[in-house]
Amino acid sequence: MGSEINRRDFLKCSLLGSSLLLTGKTLVSNWPLTSSPSLSEGADLSWVEARYYEKLPDREIKCLLCPRFCQLGDKERGYCGVRENKGGRYYTLVYGKVASLNVDPIEKKPFFHFLPGSPAFSLATAGCNLSCRFCQNWEISQMRPEQVRNINLPPEAVVTTAENQGCPVIAYTYSEPVIFYEYMYDTSLIARRKGLKNVVVSAGYINPQPLADLLKVVEAVKIDLKAFNQDFYHQYVRGELQPVLETLKQIARSPVWLEIVYLVIPTLNDHPEEIRKMCRWLKTEIGPDYPLHFSRFHPMYLIKNLPPTPVSTLEKLRQIALEEGLHYVYVGNVPGHPGENTYCPNCGKLIIERYGYAINKIEISKGKCRYCGQKIAGVWS
Amino acid sequence: MIKSKVAIVYAKNALNAENLPDPRVVLRMIRKGLELLAGSPATAEDYILSLLAPGSNLGLKINTIARRALSTLPETAVAIGLWLGKTLGQEGRVIIWDRTNEELKETGYKLSTSPDSLRIFGTDNRGVGYQREPVIHRNIGSLFSRIQAELVNYSISLAILKDHGLAGVTAGLKNYFGAIHNPNKYHDSHCDPFVAELFDCPLIKEKHRLTIIDALKVQYHRGPSYHPQWAEKAQKFILSQDPVAADVIGWKLIEELRTRKGLPSLKEEGREPSYLFTAEKLGLGQAKLENIEVLEEEV
Repeated sequence: MGSEINRRDFLKCSLLGSSLLLTGKTLVSNWPLTSSPSLSEGADLSWVEARYYEKLPDREIKCLLCPRFCQLGDKERGYCGVRENKGGRYYTLVYGKVASLNVDPIEKKPFFHFLPGSPAFSLATAGCNLSCRFCQNWEISQMRPEQVRNINLPPEAVVTTAENQGCPVIAYTYSEPVIFYEYMYDTSLIARRKGLKNVVVSAGYINPQPLADLLKVVEAVKIDLKAFNQDFYHQYVRGELQPVLETLKQIARSPVWLEIVYLVIPTLNDHPEEIRKMCRWLKTEIGPDYPLHFSRFHPMYLIKNLPPTPVSTLEKLRQIALEEGLHYVYVGNVPGHPGENTYCPNCGKLIIERYGYAINKIEISKGKCRYCGQKIAGVWS
Repeated sequence: MIKSKVAIVYAKNALNAENLPDPRVVLRMIRKGLELLAGSPATAEDYILSLLAPGSNLGLKINTIARRALSTLPETAVAIGLWLGKTLGQEGRVIIWDRTNEELKETGYKLSTSPDSLRIFGTDNRGVGYQREPVIHRNIGSLFSRIQAELVNYSISLAILKDHGLAGVTAGLKNYFGAIHNPNKYHDSHCDPFVAELFDCPLIKEKHRLTIIDALKVQYHRGPSYHPQWAEKAQKFILSQDPVAADVIGWKLIEELRTRKGLPSLKEEGREPSYLFTAEKLGLGQAKLENIEVLEEEV
């Protein structure tokens, strides 16, 4: 395994690289863990049995993890590229196979109302159950595990390393944590026992039962709502909108904290009336208190012919959301913009000032606005 | 309209007593097929040299996903590869390839990267891999194997004929799913339009010269996984310069087998390979039987 780095090397590197870790950069600067798109010959796969599937006759299986319900014959892989039927049993190939690993500020996820300023030990495996043409992490998300460089990092080692790095939070992020569900779940259980928090950054394309089980072991979920339009989901995401809306409602009904990101792509999903409709739906179905982030798009992957989102568009959409009664609406990927800050929905005063991923000041005490005492939704300690 | 020619060659002893291809018979069948396509009095060698410029490198894209049970076996591909190498004047100009070395080895291939002999390796061979930037073409967004993109000038799809639960049929066109990094993303909507649009990418369309469909053993139901109870010893090869017509004739063979076994047609099962009609619309070949001339012979 010429290209694979073992756990011992990783732990050694992580100790040596601890100063880099806290800057939010890649763990070791000369170690390109966010992988090159070449295969690693004879890649080591995990072959851990998957938890949500049904056995069918003739060694076929049906995956029950996500709304695709892939039905696969022997030796076939699911849409995600990281689950395979082998002889009538279904396996995850990425359990403990980390393809990207960093310590990020939690604001980068972004979570703005969940332990602000916390360093999040952030990891991902290869694979995704969607195919967003604008994916910002396509070099891992649109790959099979053999096509990226992986390190072996079992759940216990994730938790230990996060602790050693002083991270109170583990973030399952970058690609699509749904597709490394078993690994995320087991790691979360151990982390929780050690007093660490688990946050999930997902597109929310998951079935209700696995989501219900996951919500018992994690503390926060950020959902990327790609559009409020089925045609967009079909054409640019290769998925369906409705299951994502169901996911949002299910999380909102649980005790798990929720934030929503909407990547605004010029001309494709930035229609004001559609955004207004979405905000009304959010307010009615999940309530006004979950933060909504309008993020700036940058040309990437298969959509390189569109310009970055004009800041004025983000401001306009934010204004619509506020008009519709959502309490916490942000502008993302525009460092220094006033829309990065949190304002009290009661007195309107600035209560968290941010610059990019950095926190300049927090005027919240015991979960309440320091100026007027209004309860501010979120997890603050 | 000039009809597309498709050759079907049958040999009753193509598979030996162990159900393995006999390389000598295979080669006779391939040569006969090429002669049928060429028309008398051209030889198979003349025909091949009319398709490929001298000094070029040729890729033989095979399908080894089902390993020994139902793949392009070395008994077939190596026989053809050696003959093509000899015809081109240098064995090392021919590369037999698929996605991974592991799949090739498990199918019985002996890997070789020496330019002095027939080369056999996967995209994951050290120093090969995929291109770094995705090719964007219609609905396709994929990294191409550097074998297809950079190491060969011309390409032959040496595919296996199988029923496919999602695509309907997998044969010469769909074989190129093994030339990209993300075939798992192209199985929605019965693989339509993805199979056709992938082939329409210049890296394939401009290099592809010939389809050879290995129909020695045909999985006519519940494919693409191997189920021996629904695999027929058909002992045929289907050859054509028209990649769509070749697959249409492969599909026809599958339907004939299904009818004979009392199974519903793919259309009745709601999974006819509609990507073939999309391919025709893209101008990649003929999908209608009336536009295909079938030349059939036994050796």
